[in-house]
Amino acid sequence: MSELETNVLVVGGGISGLTTACEAAEAGYSATVIEQETFLGGRVTRLSKYFPKLCPPSCGLEINFRRMKFNDRISFYTLSEVENITGSPGNYEVKVTAKPRYINDKCTACGACAEACPVEVPNPFNLGMNNRKAAYIAYAQAYPFQYAIDRAACSGDCGTKCKEACKYDAVDLDMEPRSFTIKAGSIVLATGWKPYDASKLDNLGFGTSKNIISNVQMERISAQNGPTGGKIVRPSDGKEAKRVAFVQCAGSRDENHLAFCSSVCCLASLKQATYVREQYPDSKAYMFYIDIRTPGTSYERFLNTVKADENVSLVKGKVAKVYDDPATGDVIVELEDILAGKKIKVPVDLCVLATGMQPTVSEMKLPSEVKVNENGFVVMDNDQKGIYAVGCAKDPADVAKSVQGATGAALKAIQTVGRNA
Amino acid sequence: MAEQVIKPDLDFVKGIIESGGESLKKCYQCATCSVVCNVTPEETPFPRKEMIWAQWGLKEKFQGNPDVWLCHQCNDCTAYCPRGAKPGEVLGAIRKQTIKQYSAPSVLVDIVNNQKLMPLIFLIPAVLVAIVIAMTGTLGIPDGAVIFTKMIPVLPIQILFTPALIFGVAVGALGVKKFWADMKLANGVSSGDLKTSIIDTAKQVLSHEKFKDCDESKDRYTSHLVLFYSFVILGITTAIGALYIDILHMESPFSIGYGTPVKLFGIVGAAAIVVGTLLMINNRFKNQETLGLGSYFDWLLIGIIGVVGFSGTLAYLARLAGIGMVAYPVYFIHLVFVFSLFIYLPFSKLAHMFYRGAAMCFMKYSGREAQAAAVAQPAVEAPVEQEPAEAEKKEG
Repeated sequence: MSELETNVLVVGGGISGLTTACEAAEAGYSATVIEQETFLGGRVTRLSKYFPKLCPPSCGLEINFRRMKFNDRISFYTLSEVENITGSPGNYEVKVTAKPRYINDKCTACGACAEACPVEVPNPFNLGMNNRKAAYIAYAQAYPFQYAIDRAACSGDCGTKCKEACKYDAVDLDMEPRSFTIKAGSIVLATGWKPYDASKLDNLGFGTSKNIISNVQMERISAQNGPTGGKIVRPSDGKEAKRVAFVQCAGSRDENHLAFCSSVCCLASLKQATYVREQYPDSKAYMFYIDIRTPGTSYERFLNTVKADENVSLVKGKVAKVYDDPATGDVIVELEDILAGKKIKVPVDLCVLATGMQPTVSEMKLPSEVKVNENGFVVMDNDQKGIYAVGCAKDPADVAKSVQGATGAALKAIQTVGRNA
Repeated sequence: MAEQVIKPDLDFVKGIIESGGESLKKCYQCATCSVVCNVTPEETPFPRKEMIWAQWGLKEKFQGNPDVWLCHQCNDCTAYCPRGAKPGEVLGAIRKQTIKQYSAPSVLVDIVNNQKLMPLIFLIPAVLVAIVIAMTGTLGIPDGAVIFTKMIPVLPIQILFTPALIFGVAVGALGVKKFWADMKLANGVSSGDLKTSIIDTAKQVLSHEKFKDCDESKDRYTSHLVLFYSFVILGITTAIGALYIDILHMESPFSIGYGTPVKLFGIVGAAAIVVGTLLMINNRFKNQETLGLGSYFDWLLIGIIGVVGFSGTLAYLARLAGIGMVAYPVYFIHLVFVFSLFIYLPFSKLAHMFYRGAAMCFMKYSGREAQAAAVAQPAVEAPVEQEPAEAEKKEG
């Protein structure tokens, strides 16, 4: 077991974690990022566009990757998870286990291994909406630009096809998991979120029809590098989805599910409405809401811009029933149109459930000094002296807020290092 | 849009909160409730609108509003409510307020349903029954074979109970008359087919078909059906008894041999009342987590009916066993609770038989039910576009 040292250890390589690491490193401190996926960038990599500017997220990520590449104070581990954290501010010991990638650094990402691989499994990057090979790269611009082999998906009876296909001797099927300990001055939890499991919303039909999808799936359908190449179609039959319903607060602000407001879903749905409207001039987007929450001048302006489109209907009333109409293949969303005071049933091609962000920080083993509130977010108060939380580990937040928070947390983290030096 | 002046009735809000609707203010008007409800009409559905009227104390909106009575308290709304506002419980509390509004004297609704006065509301009938017994029979344990007429003869029972029942029904009927007039006024309905509406309502009640629409508390269909028919059976057997004894001047049909069918019918009714009450209590506890346990208003009625059923059955069994020490006192309790059931009929939750019946009938009379069915047919309807500013005024 090797021992490594770093000033700031960041758990999670999403936009918050990367920003924290870059900021700390650029202030002259060493930073180490622990990421469980095969690539860095987290949830942001799955977005098609950012709101409100409707620009591509790859842009912001690439800036961070570039900052990392040219700063030797930053190191990172993919496919790695924190086992436990011991010690005190200035002197933490973090036990990490790294799963084998089965691909070494000789990989040029030529893709020959994937071509040779005979196994296909549902692609988690696209939330199961298409398949990928067991030898894969998560997406074309993934960083590190390196394939990986999903050994759990390997059928085994293919022999060593991927290994034989690789001209660079990059496939190493004998790699073993390894454990190591990192000494860190301070720790930043940037573990992020996962989409709330829409199948728990038994009245909203998720899982009963392919045309009832979550907002994160909608993001993939709309993305150029997504399963449909950015074409917004019904998953059931590939028909153009020109009538799309956005069901707000699907499991959010709901004490039976997520009791809090995720703060981004209204803006995300407005943004996704523009995807539909842009792609099909004769399309119609409905957004069914309890309240539209778009705080701040630029977000308010974005709402007004989207609202100005007469083919975007914002209807007050929470959808409480969604189901397939077998006769037409439509999805029917049912709600009370509160302003009209009557129940309505709206037929659409595609129903997007605006599910919220569930924090994942409590899935890791946390030291006792970290407190988690009833919603699963880390409680940050003045007692925090060595372990800090950022982004969606702390609060539901959009990218802009996460990045700002991460910059602040980097300062707190290096103060801890300075205090205990 | 015409300007409206809001006149909040804070006592009305307080009344709802105090009688089981304490979660009222949690509602944030998402309308999940109106959508998951399987018994609401499509046009102006409940209970979302009732929740905001109640929050704001708009008492006059409930004047002649049949919707709170169309609610069967399946509690599908409560199960899906994202805020724990329990619309099912709130509507129950609103119904209590409307009972108070229509059953005169309204103060009796409060007295009957005041937990602190519970001993009193049973003590008064108990004293009354005791006085009648002392005057006409034996206030104590009579000697010899257990025969209830030794304690109180048939005639005094009739003198006591018949007026009590007539009082209960008359107050209820007067309330329905007022309620019906208000419903016509509030909904702008001047005429309709009353006879057909009544027949259709009776069919609906007898079949309990509305209860079948409930998702969350399907079990209530069975428990309410059993209890409902126990009342029907016991009503019929009592009526036959009165017919034999008072009108035909024949022997009581409840003696074995001579009146076996009536007797057996009565035993079935008694068993049904016990079983129905037990089922109902069981459902309440089983669904406590998601749906709530219910209010005092609910439990008082379950309590009265339960005691009537159990005391009747126990008195009967004790009589068969010849245990006078048990039979007579229990029979006394039975009389007290039957008397209470009758006189409190229009003031307890049991008043729902009048007002829910009237509201269901009005749905047919006004044509709203037929209209709702017509709307429900085509699946398609475009949402109404409306400016929020305008909408706020409308809500106001």
